[in-house]
Amino acid sequence: MRAVPFFSLRRTVGGFVILWLVAVTFLHAELNLHLFARAATRSQYRFRIGFLPVTCHLTCPVTDFINRQQSGTSMFDPVRFSGWPELKEAYLSGYTPATFILAPMAIALREQGVPIKIVYLGHRDGSALMVRKDSSIHRIEDLRGKTIAVPGRYANQRLIIYRELKARGMSLDDVNIVEMAPPDMPTALYSRAVDAITSGEPFMGQTELDGYGRCLYQAKDVWPGFISCVLAVSEDMIKNHRPQVQELVNGIAASGKWLDESMDHRMDAAQFVSTLYYNQNPRLLTYVLSKPPDRVKYSNLKPLRANFEEIEMLGKAAGMLKGTAHFEDYVDTSFAPDDDKVVAQKYEPKPR
Amino acid sequence: MNPADDSAAVVLRNLWMAFPGKQTAVHVLEDVNARIVRGEFVCIVGPSGCGKSTLLNIIGGFLRATAGQVLVEGSLVAGPDPRRIFVFQENGVFPWLNVSENIGFGLRRTASAEKERIVRHYTEMVGLTGFESAYPAELSGGMRQRVEIARALAANPDIIYMDEPFGALDFITRLKMRADLVRIWERERKTVLFVTHDIEEAVQLADRVLIMSRRPATIQEVIEINLPRPRDLDSPGYLEKRDRIFASMGMSLGVG
Amino acid sequence: MIATPPPQTIGNGRAADPIRPPALQRKRVDWLQFALPCGVGMLFLLAWDLSVRFSGSDLFPKPIDVARGIVELIQHGLLLKYIVASLFRVSWGFALATVLGVPFGLLLGWYTRASQAFNPLIQIFRPISPIAWIPVAILWFGVSDAAPIFLIFLASVFPITVSSMAAVRNMQPVYVRAAQNFGLTGWELFRQVIFRACLPQIITGLRIALGIAWLVVVAAEMIAVNSGLGYLIIDARNAGKRYDLVVAGMLMIGLIGLVLDFLVRKLENFDEVRWGYANRS
Repeated sequence: MRAVPFFSLRRTVGGFVILWLVAVTFLHAELNLHLFARAATRSQYRFRIGFLPVTCHLTCPVTDFINRQQSGTSMFDPVRFSGWPELKEAYLSGYTPATFILAPMAIALREQGVPIKIVYLGHRDGSALMVRKDSSIHRIEDLRGKTIAVPGRYANQRLIIYRELKARGMSLDDVNIVEMAPPDMPTALYSRAVDAITSGEPFMGQTELDGYGRCLYQAKDVWPGFISCVLAVSEDMIKNHRPQVQELVNGIAASGKWLDESMDHRMDAAQFVSTLYYNQNPRLLTYVLSKPPDRVKYSNLKPLRANFEEIEMLGKAAGMLKGTAHFEDYVDTSFAPDDDKVVAQKYEPKPR
Repeated sequence: MNPADDSAAVVLRNLWMAFPGKQTAVHVLEDVNARIVRGEFVCIVGPSGCGKSTLLNIIGGFLRATAGQVLVEGSLVAGPDPRRIFVFQENGVFPWLNVSENIGFGLRRTASAEKERIVRHYTEMVGLTGFESAYPAELSGGMRQRVEIARALAANPDIIYMDEPFGALDFITRLKMRADLVRIWERERKTVLFVTHDIEEAVQLADRVLIMSRRPATIQEVIEINLPRPRDLDSPGYLEKRDRIFASMGMSLGVG
Repeated sequence: MIATPPPQTIGNGRAADPIRPPALQRKRVDWLQFALPCGVGMLFLLAWDLSVRFSGSDLFPKPIDVARGIVELIQHGLLLKYIVASLFRVSWGFALATVLGVPFGLLLGWYTRASQAFNPLIQIFRPISPIAWIPVAILWFGVSDAAPIFLIFLASVFPITVSSMAAVRNMQPVYVRAAQNFGLTGWELFRQVIFRACLPQIITGLRIALGIAWLVVVAAEMIAVNSGLGYLIIDARNAGKRYDLVVAGMLMIGLIGLVLDFLVRKLENFDEVRWGYANRS
């Protein structure tokens, strides 16, 4: 087959390539970057905040949503990540000066010299360890020799396991711990790739909802007031944009109070967060936010020294933390309102 | 041999060529001397491996002799030059250009109307009218060599070097190509230096034949072929010259 | 004596008879070349559907689930967005790799010293998977389109450079000699002869590199971009049991990869490079 003489190789390649690059760039800018749709009127400082699609970070999208409903715009840009490593790296590169993050991970970063400050908590409880319904594991001692998936090296869930094992005379060497991204855990349990999984909701509840998971323990039963994730900001942001940090913490606190105020609020949140922010089926959040109602709690989220010192101690004993950073180093309590002074968001769900 | 002698197109003076070898140097050419007159058709023959192609490459400027000089039109050869065009045995034609573009390759600096005229002229001369837009991959070996010859001629060089140009072709095509080459040469009368291992070919084409010895080679004999063209392959004159060359190279006619 | 043409032939010229290879005659449309792959595709879909049914898995999607997933993406207006986003990143990453890799590779192939100097470094970087570069990409480029473009650039630039180098090395030296004979030097020699002689092999290298670039798009979009086919696959895990979207994303990637490869193969049909490829039936 001989090409038509007009289209010499050079003409074709040169012309076509240039046309293609222009067209695809234009289309991409139009469809994905909304460069043309959005007017750039950002005189005010606007920052990005990172989160994962877990209940521990629920207050983030809730705050964003309610802000937009009330004033048409939000003070921050929430950015969703698929896993802890990317979330951490985005924070380190300065892309997300504020982020929700695992508490021990924030302490570890501080130990490595990263200027990070915890300013508020994500939620309390809301973690569990799940096994297959038909497995032979009924007590924590039965975990001996089994494979357990945890969200990462610096996860509080790993500390729970350590603590519970220690209380029964076992150590982490008696079990096989693997790290896995929380969204992958339900499938791993279903296909028996691991024997047990532990992380935050809604991935634990998902296994119950789909009928193959059984809860071995809930965090709230073995470690009351358990904290998994925290809201952290960079010291830079605290130094240069104090008002915004305060506004952020106030918003997060108000959202937490709002979620705990009534089940209707929670159900509404399950809907709009699932569809607009988490890209999950709403039945997941609906389930974990209501059955049982105290599976997760969004009150009493002011960082307390006692909680963190317990994490530090356990972390050091488990070999996770070095113990060189202390409460004052990685927590800034000046922003968090006292728990009894928090006022809920004034937002009523629209009738459906 | 006077370097200012203006009837000599090519002068080879005391040429020596050695290549570095594994243990000792490989001596290929030893004190080669020759004079080629303008407008002459000269063939260089010799046993295979004797260094004919090496000699031609040196004359063409692609190799530098270890010692000695090559003078073309009175000046020393320092490298390849468009006034002396080489026709290769195979694959000399550029496969990404069609026939016209190949033939016109040496005419880059010529105005396009004039260039077209020249290209057309030589396309006709080598008998490739109708194939101007064909690409070398679509042509037979003989046709590709015609393109190369036309390309060489179109560039209007003073001298054309040909390194076994018909060596890769079959017998019948070779005969045709020789006939065409002589026909074309008679019109243009360029100086031609033609290397071949085929003695019959040399006698059919050349005015003079330079016979090279075995390696390390020198010009061991020069034989004048004063026969009219077109050459009659059955005439006694032709056979006598042919036998003389065979004898000079220490070979006899009988096979086996 | 061997038979010779009549005595007058040496010196007479006749125009050569054309010897046209039969393969160049006009072909009729070959319907079998389309029917065969379609047939294989159908068989594959059937095997897929049956094996999912028989395994009783309720996680892995059947072909019809994937089709529904694609329809859903179209309804949400996401399919076009995601395809454009991935194509955008691959286009720029690959274009940059070509613009830098081809000249650099040609230079390395031509100048032995340059090759001696740079080749070991290239061979060290080449086997490092783009996934390993993700943390570096985020640190340097943040979370934006630049990071996946960088990763795709990395994945493509090494095969392109290496094949351009090989193109120069494998070039027939007779072309350079002939060109020099006609007085070409320097830049003109490069442009008119060396580049054109190497072009078929360069295009082959580009074809392979484009395949790699498109393959890497999933890894490249693991960084928190929020669009693209790779992103679709990774994010579908978060959405619970949306494996139909995962496979839909895979399928789209595969189909577009097929189209891209087809387009580059078409490039090989141009006369300026057709000579460089061995005859395929």
